[in-house]
Amino acid sequence: MSTYFTRFTVRQRTEHVLVMSLFILLSVTGLPQKYFEAPWARWMIDVLGGIDRIRWFHRAAGLSFTAMTAFHLMFAIGSVASGRSPLSIVPNRKDFTDAIQTLQYYLGRAEAPAQFDRFDYRQKFEYWGLVLGAVVVISTGLILYFPILFTRLFPGELVPAAKVAHSNEGLMAFLVVILWHIYNAHLNPDVFPFDKTIFTGKISLERMHHEHPLELARLKQIQDIEEP
Amino acid sequence: MLLTFFLTTLLSMPPSQATPPASPDVDTCLGCHSDRSMAVTLPSGETRALYVDLDAFRKSVHGNKLSCTDCHQDMTSVPHDARPFTTKRDFTLAYYEQCKRCHFANYTKTLDSVHFKALERRDRMAPTCVDCHGAHDIAPPHRPKARLSQTCAHCHEGVFAVYAKSVHGRFLEKSDDVPGCTDCHRSHDVAGPRDVNWQKRTPELCSACHADKALMKKYGLSTAVTQTYVADFHGMTASLQGAGTPRESSVVALCTDCHGVHDIAKVNEPGSRVLRANLVKTCSRCHEGASENFPAAWMSHYEPSWEKAPLVYGVQLFYDILIPFMMAGLLLQILLHFWRVVVNR
Repeated sequence: MSTYFTRFTVRQRTEHVLVMSLFILLSVTGLPQKYFEAPWARWMIDVLGGIDRIRWFHRAAGLSFTAMTAFHLMFAIGSVASGRSPLSIVPNRKDFTDAIQTLQYYLGRAEAPAQFDRFDYRQKFEYWGLVLGAVVVISTGLILYFPILFTRLFPGELVPAAKVAHSNEGLMAFLVVILWHIYNAHLNPDVFPFDKTIFTGKISLERMHHEHPLELARLKQIQDIEEP
Repeated sequence: MLLTFFLTTLLSMPPSQATPPASPDVDTCLGCHSDRSMAVTLPSGETRALYVDLDAFRKSVHGNKLSCTDCHQDMTSVPHDARPFTTKRDFTLAYYEQCKRCHFANYTKTLDSVHFKALERRDRMAPTCVDCHGAHDIAPPHRPKARLSQTCAHCHEGVFAVYAKSVHGRFLEKSDDVPGCTDCHRSHDVAGPRDVNWQKRTPELCSACHADKALMKKYGLSTAVTQTYVADFHGMTASLQGAGTPRESSVVALCTDCHGVHDIAKVNEPGSRVLRANLVKTCSRCHEGASENFPAAWMSHYEPSWEKAPLVYGVQLFYDILIPFMMAGLLLQILLHFWRVVVNR
């Protein structure tokens, strides 16, 4: 019987399931709009019930994603303001040296990979990439949703610029998830076939040793941990 | 053996220039119908002239091909049997189908026309073959090309007057390049303005000329209009809507919604709907509450460039660089990690 640690709260796990579902829905309804002249996109639009319906779903999913992001950010700001957040996701200087050391280790030019605390630089990169990407797609998406309102205050040229930004940011997010996230959460030999932590919230002691030794060391100082 | 069979078959075939079955020649009919005063008064009180202008007939497209009874088939006895017609229109409506015996393809097309739909609704004034082509004096309808549109103008006076002032109509008689009525509405299967499936083909209709590089070069016009339209919200929607869905289900701007229909003007003419000064009004027809800034949300058929839309161009360039850079970096890290795992094992 191995020891497990709670890595993610119920709120965090729920947020992940939500963002995952909405991301799939937004990609499925968004990419065919970006590539609408391609035969596969036309086929998808047909199958999903036409351009009007696909837009409706994309907007509904987008508004849900907006609400979710707003909730997440408000919660984060609240916990930082009240001093309850450990700020463990905030990038720092060590992340850069970690990245360099890890890459050197991969190349065989360092003895060992960097040792990580609660979040490694790849996880921080993905989290902040998602937050930044969300800010871009949400703001540009709202511009595209309400162009009349928006141009009462701002120049019209921002609308086509928002369209270019929205569709490219969406494409980039899609590609990053397909390549980077799928590798890290599924295909990576360390976790293959499936890293369940974000769904169960639990992580084993073995993995803590391997992936988050600094966090484990911190935890050992404040609580008794039984090493098998 | 085969050759013998072939030759026998060939020789037994009737000569190709068969003499037509005996029928009264034109001169027989004109024995009476060359009388200019010949006429009949119908029960409606209308007078129907029975005089035939032989000169006009001989000059017509049928002049050396048909004789009277080819069309007037039922005129078999002299004097002719009494006819049941009470008005002149009765006579026209009863006879126009004579044309289909030879012109079957075009006749069939007319069955899909807005004119035939009117006829089906018992609109007795709906035009039939002879109303556009004439009867005894039929000439090629498109020589000169302007004649086609002038034919439509006989009934559609109001529309023609508007069209005649448009950028197309002004040059109708000077150039065969500009579209006349039938170029958009077609000729035999004439499309009416409320034909949804035809309306949806508007971008295609306009593109027939406006995407033609050689033709547009003559007038210094851009052929990017179609691609830039399709690339934006309106054109994308239009290109994706199935032909069957009614237009009302999702209102989308077609070429004519911004540029006008029969009154299409040059883009830089004072009356043009797409002139900068008029744009807010044009956009507001659909986008209620549009402000002065709103029309710039549409790039006026320009491709984004540093000169025309620097912000749009810049954002696109940014992502064109960022996306490959990002993906290459991530892929490299994945490959290195994977390689390290394999080496360590």
